[in-house]
Amino acid sequence: MSHRLAHLGLALILALAAHGQQRPGARQMVRVQGGAYLPLYSGKTGKTEVKAFEMDIFPVTNADFLRFVQDYPEWSRSRIKPLFADSNYLRHWQGDLAFDPAIARSPVVNISWFAAKKYCECQGKRLPETAEWEVAAKASQTQADAGSDPAYYQYVLNWLTKPSPAVLPRVGSTFRNYFGVYDLHGLVWEWTWDFNSALSTGESRGNASLDNTLFCGGGALGSGNMTNYASFMRFAMRSSMKAKYCVPNLGFRCVK
Amino acid sequence: MLLTSCREDPEEKSKACCSKETAEKVPGERSGESLFHLDQEWTTQRGKTLRLEQFRDRIVVAAMIFTHCESACPRIVSDMKRIEASLSEEELRKVCFLLLSMDPERDSPARMNAFALEHGLGPDWTLMRSSASSTMEMANVLGVRVQKLEDGGFDHSNVIHILDGEGVIRYQHHGFSEDTEPLVLAVREFLDSE
Repeated sequence: MSHRLAHLGLALILALAAHGQQRPGARQMVRVQGGAYLPLYSGKTGKTEVKAFEMDIFPVTNADFLRFVQDYPEWSRSRIKPLFADSNYLRHWQGDLAFDPAIARSPVVNISWFAAKKYCECQGKRLPETAEWEVAAKASQTQADAGSDPAYYQYVLNWLTKPSPAVLPRVGSTFRNYFGVYDLHGLVWEWTWDFNSALSTGESRGNASLDNTLFCGGGALGSGNMTNYASFMRFAMRSSMKAKYCVPNLGFRCVK
Repeated sequence: MLLTSCREDPEEKSKACCSKETAEKVPGERSGESLFHLDQEWTTQRGKTLRLEQFRDRIVVAAMIFTHCESACPRIVSDMKRIEASLSEEELRKVCFLLLSMDPERDSPARMNAFALEHGLGPDWTLMRSSASSTMEMANVLGVRVQKLEDGGFDHSNVIHILDGEGVIRYQHHGFSEDTEPLVLAVREFLDSE
């Protein structure tokens, strides 16, 4: 019985692995040119200069992540340490090495920051810094910085106001941006290396300043760009997350 | 064998009271929540390399700080010193005070050592730094939010953490403490359950 299950499992793994390998450019990265990033709540002084970097063109898929779990079983659903992920870790999979083949090429979600970080490190990559992610995400199909393009802004906002579909579409199903990166908007939210630098808390809603006994907030001087509601949404999402949280519409990709 | 005192000189080590208890503990029976699962190396203000597991069987009172910090960090350190002052010599044998740097670039062992001297931190105190990656990972297991600022400083959560002998976070105090008594009581409770 257990043998048979093991065989079935193995067959599924092999099928999935083969499926993944057929994917053209599965691990492909493109160069994203640097630029300035002005974080929310940074005032005019917190401008970050982002250097050019290489970014995965797609978010990491279930098939990609399966290969990682095969290589590092301590990151499987049954073996992951509670220190590194909450109980929702990979909850959309059927087991340690099994999920509905229909989602093989959908972005992996229900993934913690720790798991995402480890995955990228094992590929010789890393998680993007928030500033890097935001610089890449400013690009529309035709412009490196579409910050002042109302049509682009509206596109991003439209996605944010739609609920996530029950079955996530495949990676590559949204637009390819100026740099050649897909799915930064329109598929899932994504972890960033320093998501925890978003310091806004419930306590600070009143005046957008930080509670000084909870935080040493010398640099918090109000928002740099409050008109960009989409970036505010991402900021709010990041500030509400903890590194072990696993949620059904948050995935990741790597950079180097 | 893993157990040493927070104090690093051999004489102090032999003073440590609980080596026998360590031997009786079954290795591998670690809680999944234990910070000892972190695969990290840290360097202390004395230039010694250690892993968090070094603090097994100790109650650890810990905070993330940076030594260039002018406002919040000295407050946190002073709260921790008040906890230390409330504990008896007997209790202090099983307690370590740990300051983890969020600024590994600037907090060299020499710099951390100078900070320890300046603040009169005794032999039960360890200041340490690690790589940028391990530092971020530590901030995330502790739930500390850190934002690097342009001037080299940081905005950060002010939290004092208490870890039990198995490296599990058992108590967290957010913000400064007018009254450190609850923290002292927490330390005593975990000492009793060791």
